[in-house]
Amino acid sequence: MGKYSELLAKQYCTEYTTNFVPPDIADKLLRDLSLGTAWLVVLAAIARAATPIHGYEIARQLADEAPEGLSFKQGTLYPMLRSMEADGLVKSTLVASHEGPARKCFTLTAEGRRVLNAWCETWRSTNKWVNRVLGGIDGTR
Amino acid sequence: MEHAESTTAHKIVRLYIAQLALELEGADAALRHDAIIDAEQHLSAAILAGATADVAITEYGTPAEIARAYMDADSTHRSWRSAPAATEHHTVATPTRRHLHEIPVFGAWFDRRAWGAIAYFGAVGFILSIGYFIWSVTIGSLVIGLAPIVIGIPLLVLLLGSARALCLFEGKVVQLFLGVRMPQRTQPIQGADHVGFWQRIWCWLRDVRSWLSLGYLLGNFPVSLVLFVIIAVLTASSVVLMSLPFMHFAGAPIAQVDLDSGVNIQAFGETIPDENGEVRLPLIVSIGLGVVGFLMFTGTLWIARGFGWMYGHVVQAIQVARPQAVNPPRIQ
Repeated sequence: MGKYSELLAKQYCTEYTTNFVPPDIADKLLRDLSLGTAWLVVLAAIARAATPIHGYEIARQLADEAPEGLSFKQGTLYPMLRSMEADGLVKSTLVASHEGPARKCFTLTAEGRRVLNAWCETWRSTNKWVNRVLGGIDGTR
Repeated sequence: MEHAESTTAHKIVRLYIAQLALELEGADAALRHDAIIDAEQHLSAAILAGATADVAITEYGTPAEIARAYMDADSTHRSWRSAPAATEHHTVATPTRRHLHEIPVFGAWFDRRAWGAIAYFGAVGFILSIGYFIWSVTIGSLVIGLAPIVIGIPLLVLLLGSARALCLFEGKVVQLFLGVRMPQRTQPIQGADHVGFWQRIWCWLRDVRSWLSLGYLLGNFPVSLVLFVIIAVLTASSVVLMSLPFMHFAGAPIAQVDLDSGVNIQAFGETIPDENGEVRLPLIVSIGLGVVGFLMFTGTLWIARGFGWMYGHVVQAIQVARPQAVNPPRIQ
């Protein structure tokens, strides 16, 4: 067994307690930023797929394309897909697989595409604005 | 050797799932179910694609991270419009709605779940339960009749498959009317792929949710009938009583009796029925009965809400039943 599984086994055997530590402000800002951008890239990954795409494939693509130093936990994709589906941005169908059980594959709905387009516009202008302001503090402008 | 690796991967995934379930203890059962199914399916796919269990899990995220992601997504998105019950502790309702909803005792009049339960038990759920019962008994009789010849077995699979599908549909209806959330992820039948026809049928037959669903469709009818009678009688009686003061002010008689019948009551200085045979209650009696009707309907709303909570959680329990606890997912 690997290091992680040993750690898990230890954790599993010890009594479970919740130690809630209030996140500091930097963590909160990072989480807020990550959530918004993660929804955007997930919608984009579904939009660019030619056929309905399953969760594992989206997670793999996003992890492969994530820049170095940015940790993308693949498991965080699924609660997003769940919320998106409930919000009517994506729809899922079960597609038979040769390698295992049928998989849930996702496509964008018309509403999802509208939200993605609007969001892309916002992202591009925000990106330009943030870079311009940040350029003023690190001299890379 | 390959088998040993597969078994180890299996154990690691199981351990991870157990830890994730522990992290989600106390969360809504439907959310917990979905988180577990997502993790199982993702990790199985990653291992099938050649990753080791340790790498797959590290890339997936720690149980604490993943549990937090589900809880956060659940509390910060407007996803659960149809199911206010599970989100009410997390979301900030508008002050007016929150205020009305939280009024002691009479808050039930402003509770969507109570009205949903009246509609469900008084009409929608009862009608559906008749349909489910007729379907199950018809196909079930055919299965029993044809059991001696081979055709009975595929028919049994059809019955179980349709029971599962109907139960999933029922889950959506229950979520809409009773506000108890149902899982979004459907568990595949374990082992129903990669095997021969008879083995596949065996997988269907041994899957606990198939039988639970069938049991639900059959047992649902008598339960729904009893609940229908209780809710319909209480609602109808309350509405009739509440309408009495309005009828009094509108001058409408509440009944017409035959004067030759000999019925003659003296109450509050009035004779009932009057000389035309029309029954009109004295004002004080009409208002008193109206108040009784109002209180009775308030009680009915609470009773319906209580039934809705229990009933919804039974349907949820069927949908989140975990055959994997005995037969964990197969990882090659």
